[in-house]
Amino acid sequence: MSNARKLSMKNRYSALTRDLDWTPTYVDPKAVFPFTSFEGIKIHDWSKWEDPFRLTVDSYYKYQAEKDKRLYAVLDGFAQSQGHLSLTDARYLNAMKLFIQGVTPLEYAAHRHFAFLSRYYDGPGPRFAAQCQSVDELRHTQTEVHTLSNYNKYYGGMHNWPEQFDRVWYLSVPKSYFEDAMSAGPFEFLIAISFSFEYLLTNLLFVPFMSGASFNGDLPTMTFGFSAQSDESRHMTLGLEAIKFLLEQDEANVPIVQAWIDKWFWRGYRLVALIAQMLDYMLPRKVMSWKESFELYFEEQMLGGLFPDLEFYGITKPRHVEQAIGEKDLLSHQVYWALYQFSFAAGFTTTVPEDDHLDWLSANYPDTFDKYFRPLWDKAKKVQDEGGRVFFRGLPQLCQVCQIPMLFTEPGDPMRLAQRQVVHNGERYDFCSDGCQWIFEREPEKYVQAWLPVHQIYQGNCGGPSVPEVLAWYGLQDGDAGEYAGSVDQQNWERWHDHAGKADVEAPVEAEVRA
Amino acid sequence: MTGTTVEVRPTEEALLQYELRTQVVEPQRSTFSYLEKRLGDKPATRYEEGSIGIQPKENFHYRPLWAPDHEIYGADWSAVRLSDPDDFRDPRHYYYAPYVANRAELHDAFGKTLDYLEQRGLLMRLPDDWRSLLAEVVLPLRHYESGAQLLTVLGSRFAEGSTVSQCCTYAAFDRVGNAQLLSRVGIVLADGSDELLKAAKQSWRDDEGLQGLRRLVEELLLEPDWAVSLLALDLLDRAVYAVVYRHLDEAALLGGAGAYSLVVQHLSSWFADQRRWLDALYQAWLSDPAHAEANRALLAQVVATRLPQVQEAVTQLARGIDARVGAGAVGAADAALAALREELAAQGLLGTEATA
Repeated sequence: MSNARKLSMKNRYSALTRDLDWTPTYVDPKAVFPFTSFEGIKIHDWSKWEDPFRLTVDSYYKYQAEKDKRLYAVLDGFAQSQGHLSLTDARYLNAMKLFIQGVTPLEYAAHRHFAFLSRYYDGPGPRFAAQCQSVDELRHTQTEVHTLSNYNKYYGGMHNWPEQFDRVWYLSVPKSYFEDAMSAGPFEFLIAISFSFEYLLTNLLFVPFMSGASFNGDLPTMTFGFSAQSDESRHMTLGLEAIKFLLEQDEANVPIVQAWIDKWFWRGYRLVALIAQMLDYMLPRKVMSWKESFELYFEEQMLGGLFPDLEFYGITKPRHVEQAIGEKDLLSHQVYWALYQFSFAAGFTTTVPEDDHLDWLSANYPDTFDKYFRPLWDKAKKVQDEGGRVFFRGLPQLCQVCQIPMLFTEPGDPMRLAQRQVVHNGERYDFCSDGCQWIFEREPEKYVQAWLPVHQIYQGNCGGPSVPEVLAWYGLQDGDAGEYAGSVDQQNWERWHDHAGKADVEAPVEAEVRA
Repeated sequence: MTGTTVEVRPTEEALLQYELRTQVVEPQRSTFSYLEKRLGDKPATRYEEGSIGIQPKENFHYRPLWAPDHEIYGADWSAVRLSDPDDFRDPRHYYYAPYVANRAELHDAFGKTLDYLEQRGLLMRLPDDWRSLLAEVVLPLRHYESGAQLLTVLGSRFAEGSTVSQCCTYAAFDRVGNAQLLSRVGIVLADGSDELLKAAKQSWRDDEGLQGLRRLVEELLLEPDWAVSLLALDLLDRAVYAVVYRHLDEAALLGGAGAYSLVVQHLSSWFADQRRWLDALYQAWLSDPAHAEANRALLAQVVATRLPQVQEAVTQLARGIDARVGAGAVGAADAALAALREELAAQGLLGTEATA
């Protein structure tokens, strides 16, 4: 035994993870792992899977426990010192309302479905990586809830997030996005989530919230963001290894993977429309414009950096990417203008940007803002100054695939709404873009199933036919929705700050439960 | 900002205290509104806020391509039902942070034990019979643990309700941890190489004593119902842990194999922790206001089918143990099965087939 060869780190890791696997002989292995063949992906040799990280379970517990100890110390200190009063403004929390309503549930969905991969991949390397990621995603769900829990005690909009994720119209955008991935096969899920969501788009998706937090005095969210960083970097490397592995295993995988990249790029790009408006409109103190963020994180880093590398495998840039690039001067403005008009039915508030904010938008979008959007805000401000408020009366038409209201315009013509239609089995379906139409046409049987919130309201499945009934069904309370100016949050914020410096502030404005 | 003042106030008490004055801002609400509905208008704990009611419940968009008869989540992923799954609580109140803190301690304690054994060469100095038992029977159980991960993670994905699923998640990850504890013993025992691990894998494939166990784990991997899979694995675990980690622990102390006891104590303490949430889940299943009787009938059916297989597998394992060390493992297995039957009978889960 003394001359036995000691294990290298790599082999030790392998012995402690993938070598735990064995091939069943009492039952058919294909029956144990029944879902890895129907998508047409060919895997010849799972042992070629390079572990994207090497973390044994004991080190995992140790590092994660240390990180959590630090994070919760910050959360406790922030709560004890009424840290929420030092945010830039209560308006900032609209970004965090969107976060807990629309992003935290995606962490949870990822947690549950990486458990699926951890059960059903027939390769033990990715199975263990998926098990780790599943547990990580549960961590992110919970640390986000605990981070925002303190704000929930003082501000509206966050209190009913899981139920709202199931019910509220704009949250069907992230919900349908993730369920699209979960209902797909295990390899498509990996390309959709690990590659497209966690790698291709993560800097557009997740990072803006954390940077926004840091610019706006939100210490807990910023600390959470740093604390999640090492987990996320493991998830990103998993995404990159996943695509490399699939492409290297068999040439026949290339067109399948390409189609998934095309689909999930557009699916993800439509999802980040919600982030685009957040960056440009919801942050009192700006981090960068959506356009700048898109150019840096997507055009430069992904189109300029990643895709040339993938060319080697025969992978080309995602379909419809030119249309996304063409929208970068328009996207955030079109989306926020829609949310402004529909926020009477949302779990956050909106308002007309202040003058210096409008100037910032003009400066950052010199080609489009003054021409197309500033006049809208001037009009809305005039209405508001006269005691009114521009709200849309009625319900929007939603895109059958991305489920965003049909608010996007024709490529090259910002004055004309884009509208695409397909008749399938005698029914008409509407789409916001060529990208969404293309996705539908690949899998119409899937997308005809979509639970479209507006259709459901009209069918009477959402609490009743009237707006107040629907809002009650959403579980909204007074102050959650509508205009920020004069809202419960704004009044409390003013009151708390009028008294800054004095101990024992008087009782806040009480919100009444509407339901 | 907060106008904090510090006053030092002399008091008559033995301990001087200073009184911090801080800004008081009355909260708008005690916790999230969906938790307030369930738990009342009071601050919820971090376990409650992080665990209850998080899984989506309705308005699913697309049926899974891989299971078109089901929604993405749903009670119908198992025949065993709870009227209100969000009512289930992990008695340990584990959410991620306390879970990893607890397991960090367990693995740290194990690491210290292993270091100690390694420094003193105590594993190398095990009596030959105990050494071969450890290498040929216990090390291969790392594959058993790995199979247990697959069986448990099914509930992590498919269990209805986030508090139930959460327990399965941690339990599944625990099993990889257990497999790694055993593997690290194998590496130390082989002086830093993977020779014994390779041999152990061979034993898991071929050794007669282990085949009942392996066959049952493989057959359970075909079970699509996460709750059935969980219960069947637990029946097997209760017998295996009783023999390998409890009975042999005592036998090792008597047989001059203290190192064995030092190693397996950590697995025993893990299993005690594992039992807490499983027993709570059984309790919930069997006392459910609407489904208790149907659940009992179903679970009794699982016991009736699986208990004889468990008995066979564990008896085979015990024979393999006794062939290496005269430790009375077969008798211990019989006793463990008898105790298990008694517990199951008390829960009304023992039908006639299993008692035969």
